Amino acid sequence: MPVAIRSAPAVQTVDVTKVYRIGHVGYPALRGINIKVERGEFVAIMGPSGSGKSTLLNLIGALDRPTSGRVIIDGVDLKKLDEDRLSLLRNRKLGFVYQSFNLIQRLTSIENVEMPLISRGVPEKIRKARSLKVLNAVGLHGKASKRPAELSGGEQQRVAIARALVAEPALIIADEPTGNLDSKTTREVVDQFVQVNKGFGTTILIVTHNSEIAAMTQRIISLKDGLVDKEEYIQRLDSYSAA
Amino acid sequence: MFKLAYKALIDRKIRSVLTILGITVGSAIILALIASSSGLNAGIAGNIEKTGANILTIRNAGGFFSSGSTNTYQLSQQDITYLKSIPGVIAAYPYYSYGANINSGGESIQASVVGIDMVALPVLYKGLTVAEGSIPLLGDTTSAAIGWGIANPVSGTPIGLHQMVSMSITGIKGSKGAVSYAVLASGILAQYGTALFANIDDTIYISFQAAGLLAKSPYFTGIYVIVDNTDNVATVQNTIETYYSNNVRVISPGQILSSIQGITGQLTVFLGSIGAVSLFVATVGIVNTMYVSVMERTREIGILKAIGYRPKQIMGMFLAEAALTGVIGAFCGLALGYALSFLMGGMLGGLGGGRVAFGGGGGGGMTIVPVFSTQLIVFSLTFPVLLATIAGLYPAWRASRMNAVVALKYE
Repeated sequence: MPVAIRSAPAVQTVDVTKVYRIGHVGYPALRGINIKVERGEFVAIMGPSGSGKSTLLNLIGALDRPTSGRVIIDGVDLKKLDEDRLSLLRNRKLGFVYQSFNLIQRLTSIENVEMPLISRGVPEKIRKARSLKVLNAVGLHGKASKRPAELSGGEQQRVAIARALVAEPALIIADEPTGNLDSKTTREVVDQFVQVNKGFGTTILIVTHNSEIAAMTQRIISLKDGLVDKEEYIQRLDSYSAA
Repeated sequence: MFKLAYKALIDRKIRSVLTILGITVGSAIILALIASSSGLNAGIAGNIEKTGANILTIRNAGGFFSSGSTNTYQLSQQDITYLKSIPGVIAAYPYYSYGANINSGGESIQASVVGIDMVALPVLYKGLTVAEGSIPLLGDTTSAAIGWGIANPVSGTPIGLHQMVSMSITGIKGSKGAVSYAVLASGILAQYGTALFANIDDTIYISFQAAGLLAKSPYFTGIYVIVDNTDNVATVQNTIETYYSNNVRVISPGQILSSIQGITGQLTVFLGSIGAVSLFVATVGIVNTMYVSVMERTREIGILKAIGYRPKQIMGMFLAEAALTGVIGAFCGLALGYALSFLMGGMLGGLGGGRVAFGGGGGGGMTIVPVFSTQLIVFSLTFPVLLATIAGLYPAWRASRMNAVVALKYE
């Protein structure tokens, strides 16, 4: 059911393996992953713990390098990039959302959101205006000058989503984004992702244990023992209306 | 970038304050040291300049400059005759010098009493003028020229022109205890300061004859020898020293300059090493603080990496923090060092002037005004910043090289 897109996929992995070495013993975490995520897709990655979800996410997120195989983000082969270039790629093409929010505690919401733009050298005025716009878009009106400690879990996660969005990335990578949230807030945060995907056309890759969340995406990739176990497309008549 | 660095420092207030304190103390000591020792040198140079480098002072060998000496040679009229006969000597002025306590409206003021031919005063102290009245004539044993500081004491009653000044004089050879004496203030000298390490403002000049009567002896405290040309000073000094062997002490301004510079040089080295050590400790402190800070903020560094901060940006961020520590430390150090230099100037002043030199009993210390040159201020503002930045290099490099995945998992 994916729409035919002529340009390069948002994510493509070719025979990706990752072996962690502890002393002389190697522990294979990924044993040859081939996946493709088209632009604008909303994909869930599921699987039991130890199946290699986080490892795969780190590789796609350009935070780590595979032992073998290729990771191609938005048409760019990561193998060809040095540390500096990988940083630039993360800054321009990727946005991260984590289970533990990973906000900088001493900075206010808006300052946290500004961080990727500071790195990019965007002038302060533009930076502030854009960050405020994105904060408002994720429903955080009037929370710009609050610090993470003054916000609820759901609000903190929305600050993190805003931080990922502000850079206008090609791909948002979310690692168990609702793992620390109650069911009501989980719903709100997932709705947020759905809106982002629909509204901005941002490709989203979400790792989750929660099948309800997975059901709100377009496709589920299941991993098992470092391999793709199965892939299923979600059939929906009324596409991602609040179920 | 500096805003972020500032916020990071604020977040660790106490630790930052302690680190900054280390830099502050180190740079303050070095600043104060350089400022006050260059102030001292300027003061000495000023002294020499006022006095003129062509004046030699001859004193009995026994006395302040060689305590414990059993030498009993005393300077008298025949020495004047001899000294005047040396080629290059244009004049020789004998003088008596005593310490005195002046009764000023119930309060006692310490002063020096110097008996000298008054014509010598403008020769010895260039630019010394009379503020009020006139200098007593030769042979006038009842009048005196009064130093500005005695006429206008900090506490006590001012002494006006033609007023009687009563004092008790100490240090007269052969007299037990103090001798009461009174003179008429026929002239008040203009404010002058120190020269030849005697404080002119705290001195009462009486006629040579009056001082001779007080001393009840034909022996002088010392003789000022005026040489025609500064180039001949060394030769004249040599001639006198050879003639008298160890019987007298010949003091030249140049000698005083070099001996005081010797002392201050040692002091500078000593205090300088304290300052250097404390700056070094402070630098190590920054390395330590920054390193701990990097470790503590491992997760934050992970976040920055994920967001796409480049290694050099992360390095720059931590370097900015270190540099900011240095900047604050440097400014605090400048302020503290400024205050400290006056304190140190006072200490050095006591050392340089004090009661050692020519004034006899009451010669006041030299006032040392610390000298802050532009280079010194620029140096004391940039050097700590440079040190702090260098100290931040390793921790910042560690931060920039952190593995993002590991850093993000760090608790």
